[in-house]
Amino acid sequence: MKIINKIAVLITFLFTTQIAFAQSNFLVSTDWLAKNIKNQNVKIIEVSVSPGLYERGHIEGAVNFKWHTDLVDTVNRDIISKDKLEKLLINSGVNKDSTIILYGDKNNWFAAWAAWIFDIYGIENVKLLDGGRHKWEAEKKALTPIATKVKPGNIKLTKTNLALRARLSDVVAVANKKSNVALVDIRSAAEYQGKIFAPAGVPELSVRAGHIPGAVNVSWGEAVNKDGTIKSAAELKKIYAAAGVDGSKPIITYCRIGERSSHTWFVLKKVLGYDVKNYDGSWTEYGNSVGNPISNPSGTIWGKI
Amino acid sequence: MKHSAKLPGIKNFLGVPLIFLLVWILNSQDPIKQNEILYLSLWFGIFFGAILQKSRFCFYCISRDFIEKKNALGLIGIIVSLAIGTLGYHVIFGAFLTDPSFPNLPPNAHISPVSIVLIIGSFSFGIGMAIAGSCISAQLYRLGEGLVSSLPSIIGIILGFILAFKTWNYFYLNFTYNAPVIWFPHYLGYTGSVILQILIFLFLVLLLFKFHKKTSDKKNYSWWKVKWPTYIGGILIGLIGALAFLRITPLGVTAEIGNIARTTSEYFNIAPGRLEGLDTLRGCFTAVKNIFWTNNGLFIFGLVMGSFVSAVFSEDFRIQIPSFVEIRNSFVGGIFMGFGAMIALGCTVGNLLSGIMAASLSGWVFLIFCSIGLYLGWYLKKNFLN
Repeated sequence: MKIINKIAVLITFLFTTQIAFAQSNFLVSTDWLAKNIKNQNVKIIEVSVSPGLYERGHIEGAVNFKWHTDLVDTVNRDIISKDKLEKLLINSGVNKDSTIILYGDKNNWFAAWAAWIFDIYGIENVKLLDGGRHKWEAEKKALTPIATKVKPGNIKLTKTNLALRARLSDVVAVANKKSNVALVDIRSAAEYQGKIFAPAGVPELSVRAGHIPGAVNVSWGEAVNKDGTIKSAAELKKIYAAAGVDGSKPIITYCRIGERSSHTWFVLKKVLGYDVKNYDGSWTEYGNSVGNPISNPSGTIWGKI
Repeated sequence: MKHSAKLPGIKNFLGVPLIFLLVWILNSQDPIKQNEILYLSLWFGIFFGAILQKSRFCFYCISRDFIEKKNALGLIGIIVSLAIGTLGYHVIFGAFLTDPSFPNLPPNAHISPVSIVLIIGSFSFGIGMAIAGSCISAQLYRLGEGLVSSLPSIIGIILGFILAFKTWNYFYLNFTYNAPVIWFPHYLGYTGSVILQILIFLFLVLLLFKFHKKTSDKKNYSWWKVKWPTYIGGILIGLIGALAFLRITPLGVTAEIGNIARTTSEYFNIAPGRLEGLDTLRGCFTAVKNIFWTNNGLFIFGLVMGSFVSAVFSEDFRIQIPSFVEIRNSFVGGIFMGFGAMIALGCTVGNLLSGIMAASLSGWVFLIFCSIGLYLGWYLKKNFLN
């Protein structure tokens, strides 16, 4: 019997270590998730912005977080409060010891926003599904339209680490050369150069085009492979170092509303382990702020006909 | 009615290879190849069109049968589709949204605000469909039967949409923006909502049977020429309605026509570029076309094609050249329909079918005021427009 017990322990050990070390600490592959879908410890959260996507087909066991109402304050322009997030997580069945897997549409942008928010509130064991919903669908893995029913969880949020969040004053200091921070504008080159005020199909919400002086432009898409998975740490190091971002000084990422930059924040902070803040006010705050310098290489003038 | 044992000839099937050719051509387009939802929209459209044609699911023709001949079977067929659709929708609601309490709403279901704007829109739509001789979905399926007067009607519909764009911002800011969105499951839960709707359907069916007078059709048709009873179409449309909601979006036939109208009005700069609040509402809303292939575009294209194949099979297809009066009525009726469909955020399909199936009060309001408009339109047409 003793031998059988030992073998059982050994098998359990091998099995659990395989799960624990199958992936980097912050990313899981679609194959890993497919194998661990029934694991009670794994809580899957979908953060997609297209309405009806989750309902018509989501990964089995996933709950749905709506970025526009669940992860931001709907009145003040702010991130969701700790209490509200805690309530949401408890109602979604998340426990203290859960491993949270986030995924979503639009290249995981909004799932990465959730990862950033979760990190601010000190939630541990949060991982992003590498390649997001797109890769899962491309591999024709199963989706279900049946809503997930959960028992309330027991997670408690105790910490708030606002060091992960940059505010207007932080980037104004960089623009005025009063702060030694690497500023990364992760929008498209056309937005960075001020040729356009917002990406195609998106309302123009800022009255100035261009970027924050001192920012370098590394589009978020540079960080991913064709299938949407995040590139290797070595490749990433090279890409960001080429733009002068090597982790030797603190970094701030920004975009238009802070969701695409959450993706780059995740890459730099979690994959490369740099010191990174995300500036969620982003260009829709900075580009509208009064009296702060901007850089607009294209010279576009808002409203001029 | 006797069915002969004859078989249909090869000519009855001529539409079939055409459909497969068209589907094959469309499916070689990259956007459709890469998006199975677009492909599925096309097939839903084909089946929807064939069913509309085969069971003569024309809301106005059915209503006129009742008004003029006291034949209620067609209207009962519509109620059958609503009943099947209601059951299907509620089963899907249970999967999509386990908690139907306020303010949760199932995604994309046509649950739109109830206001004076919806009343005006439904009323205008009812008048328009009577004058034009059929509603928008029927214009489309009858186009597949070779009814040329559908074309001036579609032009009228586009014009009606543009007129509505010009009034939309006024309507939205004064009435729609804070109008209540009433969804029965918020108050009754799913079971209560199903029971309420089924009771109303039963009541309506009994009421219609009370007025119904038997009409007999003694003509001896070959079986493939025989129209299906409307309730058969109703069952199938109820099923398609639920399946389309499950996989793509609720049934509707005006979104793409509206998109074309909006793109046109933008091009000629004749309507406001920004329609307030439209993107926040549910129903058949419109957008300036920045992608060519849309679900709704392929759906209505499929609808016309499906109807064509069915019409060829049933030997119903013939090019019908309209008289001047028919062209005029189709066009004028189209304007009323387009205007109504835009401000009401849907027509007899998007509002009446998809709204009532979704247990939305807006669908019922549309049904009531569209019927009143239809009766008035029928009266006007009979007395002044012939």
